[in-house]
Amino acid sequence: MNDVSSSTPVADQAAMLSMRGITKRFPGVIANQDVDFDVVAGEVHTLLGENGAGKSTLMKILFGLYRPDEGEVRLNGKPSGITSPSTAIEAGVGMVHQHFMLVPTLTVAENVALGLPSGRGPLTNLDAVSARVSEISEAHGLSVDPSTEVWRLSVGERQRVEIIKALYRDARLLVLDEPTAVLTPQEVDDLFVILRRMTDEGRGLVFISHKLHEVMALSDRISVLRNGQMVGQTIPSATSREELAEMMVGRSVKLVPDRPPVETGDVRLEISNLSVRGDRDTIAVKNVDLSIKGGEIVGIAGVSGNGQREIAEAVAGLRAPEPGGSIRFDGVDVASMGTRARRDAGLAYVPEERMADGAIADFSVSENLILVDHASKSFTKSGLFDRQRIADHAKKLVERFAVKTPTIDTPTSSLSGGNIQKVIIARELMSDPAVLIAAQPTRGVDIGSAEYIHSQLIEQRDKSTATLLISEDLDEVLGLSDRIAVMFEGEIVAIVDAADATREGIGLLMAGVVDAA
Amino acid sequence: MRDFFTLSVIVATVASGIRLATPYLLAGLGETVGQKSGVLNLGVDGVMQLSAFFAYWTMLERGSLILATLVGIGVGLVMGAIYAFVTVVLQAQQGISGIGIFLFGLGFSDLMFRRQVGSPRPVPQLPEYGIPFLADIPNVGDALFQHNLLTYFAFAAVPVLALMLRSTTFGMNVRAVGENPQAADSLGVSVGWTRAFAILIGNTFAGLAGAALVLELGIFQPNLTAGLGFIAVALVYFGAWRPVGIMSGALLYGLVAASVLQMKALQIIPRSASDIAAMAPAILTILALIVLAGRVSAPAALTRPFSR
Amino acid sequence: MSTFPLRRLLALLFSFGLLAAACGGSDATDASDGGSDDDAPAASSDLSVAVVAPSASDDLAFTQSMIDSLDALGITPQVTDGTFVVEDAAAAIRGYAEEGVDVVIAHGTQYGGSLAEIAPDFPETTFIWGTAADTQGLANVFAYYPAADQGGYVNGVIAAAVTESGSIGVVGPVEAGDAVAYVNGFVAGAEANGASTSVVYTGSFSDVQLMAEAAQAHIDQGADVLTGTSQAVVGAVGVASETDVAWFGTQSNQTSLDPNLVVASQVYHWEVVIQEMLDLREAGTLGGEVFELNLENGGLEIEYNDGFELSDDVIASADAAIAGIIDGSIDTGA
Repeated sequence: MNDVSSSTPVADQAAMLSMRGITKRFPGVIANQDVDFDVVAGEVHTLLGENGAGKSTLMKILFGLYRPDEGEVRLNGKPSGITSPSTAIEAGVGMVHQHFMLVPTLTVAENVALGLPSGRGPLTNLDAVSARVSEISEAHGLSVDPSTEVWRLSVGERQRVEIIKALYRDARLLVLDEPTAVLTPQEVDDLFVILRRMTDEGRGLVFISHKLHEVMALSDRISVLRNGQMVGQTIPSATSREELAEMMVGRSVKLVPDRPPVETGDVRLEISNLSVRGDRDTIAVKNVDLSIKGGEIVGIAGVSGNGQREIAEAVAGLRAPEPGGSIRFDGVDVASMGTRARRDAGLAYVPEERMADGAIADFSVSENLILVDHASKSFTKSGLFDRQRIADHAKKLVERFAVKTPTIDTPTSSLSGGNIQKVIIARELMSDPAVLIAAQPTRGVDIGSAEYIHSQLIEQRDKSTATLLISEDLDEVLGLSDRIAVMFEGEIVAIVDAADATREGIGLLMAGVVDAA
Repeated sequence: MRDFFTLSVIVATVASGIRLATPYLLAGLGETVGQKSGVLNLGVDGVMQLSAFFAYWTMLERGSLILATLVGIGVGLVMGAIYAFVTVVLQAQQGISGIGIFLFGLGFSDLMFRRQVGSPRPVPQLPEYGIPFLADIPNVGDALFQHNLLTYFAFAAVPVLALMLRSTTFGMNVRAVGENPQAADSLGVSVGWTRAFAILIGNTFAGLAGAALVLELGIFQPNLTAGLGFIAVALVYFGAWRPVGIMSGALLYGLVAASVLQMKALQIIPRSASDIAAMAPAILTILALIVLAGRVSAPAALTRPFSR
Repeated sequence: MSTFPLRRLLALLFSFGLLAAACGGSDATDASDGGSDDDAPAASSDLSVAVVAPSASDDLAFTQSMIDSLDALGITPQVTDGTFVVEDAAAAIRGYAEEGVDVVIAHGTQYGGSLAEIAPDFPETTFIWGTAADTQGLANVFAYYPAADQGGYVNGVIAAAVTESGSIGVVGPVEAGDAVAYVNGFVAGAEANGASTSVVYTGSFSDVQLMAEAAQAHIDQGADVLTGTSQAVVGAVGVASETDVAWFGTQSNQTSLDPNLVVASQVYHWEVVIQEMLDLREAGTLGGEVFELNLENGGLEIEYNDGFELSDDVIASADAAIAGIIDGSIDTGA
């Protein structure tokens, strides 16, 4: 085993990974078409592209999970020979998955040792593993206690364990799949320092992300995939976020939506002294006060799991608040009302889990579009559905919200994530709500659809709706909100005017550092 | 009415409780290993019936306790291989597959008994051996160290399996594939083989449990287990997937059952309360284990087939 | 050999192959081994007979006693046994009635509810139900029950003579039905003759292991004679064998379980009352009457094991008890 703590100079510029002419076809789709991709030692090579552009197919080919129809994968000049996770490890190729590949009930050391021979026959040798983990931690600034069970760790610490796993196996080439998705801005900064230290040792990194400012900050090279084809390669100093977005989407996109100033009206959503229990029966939201005026978008920033979901569900009527608090729509207390009554009082809700809570997968587009109002007079005739009116209604909305669907009778499940979300947003905005809760409105949605959804949310704001935006994407919160409320451990620790907000300030607040902004 | 708290009654009760606990302990330990790897086996009772029958038949035909025990283990291995094939290779739904194994065991042992044996005939039982020196301790020796070899084996297996699960590479792999098979797979651990071995271990213990039951009784009849295997599965949950927890549960169950029987025999428990007292072992065991085990959750991937 | 086992095996393998929860094993309806050993003497009537029973037809107890009784009458019935699930039994009963079988014997107290639904649908069919002390008011149902306390009493008299310690252990399943009658009769007989008894009901009809430990508990506390009733008693007989303690059986002759230690068994001769019922049926009465098996009508009989020596005095006191029960001078405590 090489000594990973010693630093090798970036002398050898020969590609450690070289993928040439990769083509992979699936029935009806070309997932990768003649794609070239390489990584040299000591660089961060970013792979950028929308969902479905072919990034994960390319990585699955690298890890031997798919065989390419054409082309070849070479490692250090030789055919890679990777056919399984264990051959990948032997070849020095590692991956940090977006969804952590950790066993929560095992300790850090056990997670690291998993799959490796212990050198002690059938018995494990966790003391030796722990000692080595501590060495690696120290050398790379990845502080974590090897004897702790993983379920006790924070998200950031878990990611460090993932990196330690790769370093322990002395991965020379490491693929990081959206590693920043769950981190606070400060944790992202820390991660980048660690990653830089790894490239300094001569390791090669593939960075997969769609957060453009991170891509600009970290990458040595950037390759952009669109519709299975490599559409360009560039370096950060020669490009801009706007240009990268344009390469990804194929047309110019507005990353920051226009948000013309608008006259705000009366308070339409007023939350006072709201406390809510989470799934584990602990208090997830603590004594929260928040009021939103008509014509205003208030974004909630926070690391996921700090009470954002519970607050949204409490306002939507899906989760009972603790006694003593109130939720008012246009002055009417709805805290004890059911969801139907709340909708009648002016609520619209775009839920976080769009396929589980927002739409019914097997229903057609037109059926999902009337899901909320199916019983209303306008869609029924003598108690039965009025097919003609439902169809007219669906056609109108599909057109207005630019939903890409073959027909209005297509099952919703066969639409792309962005189009499903447009169906939900169309349905929710149709009623011109007093209060709109938009939870993760563009998560997993392509940039083009996200741009459109943003413009619709702003348009709705201009019609004097009070909007509560909940998003893990800080750029989205910063771009859309008039005010930003930062949640930490169930409490709103600060409310900041958009004009005064900075990424850094909000990031510190998200980490619980209250006197920062 | 006589006194329950006399030395001889207590010694007899403890000895009886340990005998009653043995098949539950063996079956529960095996089920624990399987469940730790993420595989639920509801077929334990059926495997026990099959191994009980074949061990009994071996005794009738060959008269060898060693051979009969080995046959019981062999039946467990065969059923384990079948169950591993069905749940790991074919990835069948585990609940219904286990019920299938149970029904097969129930029906096939019944059929074989009718065809090959007919009426129940007694066979020699497992002899009891005193452990040297320990068995000579007054009272304690008779209660704890005067049992058959399979009983000693069952209790000896508790620390061995606990050590295996905690401190061996295989045990760590078992725990990993039962919690997050994707993660184990990503590190090159073979989820399929790990689960298959865990199932084989589990079924071998179920086979031993069946052999221990029939060789302690010295007689077989159809549906001999009368649901014992299902109680063993329940013990795994209440024992919080820990060998020591299973042992505590099995012992508690056996000791309470034995105490109830002794108290009935001593007429301490009146006949009018007989049926209610019969429920005491199950109720007390469940209550005790709920209180002691706290809220331990099942292996996260339990019953979930794995594919890449 | 009949085709029954092969079909049963195929059904089982099929159910296993499908991994389905369908219980394919317990509803094979062909004739069982019970009647196929040899060609019995000509049947006493031309009536066709079917039996539905909860346990195996060779269980040395409840079900076998009925099969043996019919055999004694020269009747080879169709048999569905092992139907401890009442729904399966109900299906089998209805099936036989639909086939046009003249007399369907539902040999299980638990089948009463099913019969109440089925019998009115087949007014031409005679249903024989037991053990039960009433016909539920159904005109085409005969009921039968054994006065198990009578044989129990006689067993108890003999047991009191056999015991040396003076302490006798009794094991039973659940305090209900025949089991109570037998146990109470036994206790009365033993105690009237100076022995002390202790009774343990385990709470389970089928838990063999628990029954064995119940017997062991009696022995731990000094019993040197045991008896018991239920399908799970084989476990208790095993304990008797292991500890060399005398055993008294009931329902059928249990000598084969241990030819050295079984003293005597109370045997049910259902044929005595079944014959009466069949005769009534021949004469045009389809049901509506209740029959008791007792020592007087020969429905109950004490069978001794020749392998266990009893003095003539003991036999004489047993005969005296039988006479006393028949003439009413002895109260069996039932």
